[in-house]
Amino acid sequence: MKNFNLLIFLFSFSSIFSQPNCEAYKYYGETLKYEACKKAEQIENHYQFSKKFQEILDESIFIDSTFAYAYREKSVAYLKSGDFITWKRLIDKAVKFNIKENLGYRGWCRYQFFRDYKGAIKDIEKLDTLVDYDIGQSINGTYHLNIAKGLCYKAIGEKEKAIKIIENQIKLNEKEDFVGAYDYLHLGVLYLETERLEKAIEMFKKQSKTNELAENQYYLALTYRKLDNPPESISCLKKAKELYIEERKMFDPYSNPMDKIYLENIENEIKTAYNNGYK
Amino acid sequence: MKKSFLVIISFFSILCNCQTEKKVNEKQVYLRWVGDIEQNDQTDELNFKVCNGDDKTFQYFNLGKGPDYSGEKSKILNAFKSKYQPISDKNQNGLIRIRFIVNCEGIAGRFRVLQSDYNYQEIEFDKRIISQLLDITKGIDNWKIQYRKEMPIDYYMYLIFKITDGQLKEIIP
Repeated sequence: MKNFNLLIFLFSFSSIFSQPNCEAYKYYGETLKYEACKKAEQIENHYQFSKKFQEILDESIFIDSTFAYAYREKSVAYLKSGDFITWKRLIDKAVKFNIKENLGYRGWCRYQFFRDYKGAIKDIEKLDTLVDYDIGQSINGTYHLNIAKGLCYKAIGEKEKAIKIIENQIKLNEKEDFVGAYDYLHLGVLYLETERLEKAIEMFKKQSKTNELAENQYYLALTYRKLDNPPESISCLKKAKELYIEERKMFDPYSNPMDKIYLENIENEIKTAYNNGYK
Repeated sequence: MKKSFLVIISFFSILCNCQTEKKVNEKQVYLRWVGDIEQNDQTDELNFKVCNGDDKTFQYFNLGKGPDYSGEKSKILNAFKSKYQPISDKNQNGLIRIRFIVNCEGIAGRFRVLQSDYNYQEIEFDKRIISQLLDITKGIDNWKIQYRKEMPIDYYMYLIFKITDGQLKEIIP
């Protein structure tokens, strides 16, 4: 039991957001927020799913029912357990009471946990109109929020719009030397799906240099197949399988990322290639 | 007449406000963890057992391996693709979550259903949709056994189904 608690305790740190600076509320004379904030600080060392964690935040909200941070923290366990109804009710409160800090986060969660593409686009675009600074990354750091927005446009069938958004953001990311772990791959897949095959290869090669993945070799194989180059295609599929077995594949601790493939996909492609007479 | 009517309305208005206030101040009661599912002998399979006790049941992501399926997710997708019969109805739209426990033997039990429209408002789907999704989920007989320190654990798992016009569009996670 002790070990069980320790494990859960360790996991709790990976998802707690940066805590607000309670002293700042005091400085600006927001006494109730200061008190609610001090109460909320007590969640430290409690697992976000636990009864104690939730009760402390209830008390924080009881002190100041407009304290956005407490709602957001409360919402996380509901998000991760797939309770979209309670999550939405809580995160909407967080957005209501601190829109700039929570809108991008809500948008990302809509995408990551519920594949709510239209809702995510709406949140991210609204945030863009509210602030004059960079809207930043998803909470897990995997994507710039604009890349996530591009993926949502792709999912609702607006591929050209998705390409423009992702191309622009990758250019900006390259300037900052901060390209996301899957950025080139997603753009490559979009090029492949819209028959810009040379551009697709260019992106997959860039992805190979920054973060080689089974998915990358798989989609490269599909591109070579379309270019009528079976030897290259087979070679990429074999590499894809090796990478997959070595666990070098797309990963998200909570969900399956867009463009992710499974071993079955690779093996089916290899079978098809051999059935078509390629050695 | 008008005056007494107003008095009555005011009285009820105050009464309602008091009740609302009371509700807000009521302390919410939580189980050990958010989303814990207690055994219900009326509806749950009596033979289903949690191996290590309810208080040691994890969430699927606690071991950092992501959503992990026996035969990978493609097996789950194939099961629903081949078995789910769409109900053609423009009014059947939203999210359905089926959450359950996977025990140390990879067997699932204590299934619970949550339903909402695409605005996250609770609704009730056509029973034929729910029963199909439940039956197919219950029919998956070997879930991934997760281990911690070489010991098999029990964990909570869920599937979320996106339904549009009665068609199954996506399965998450």
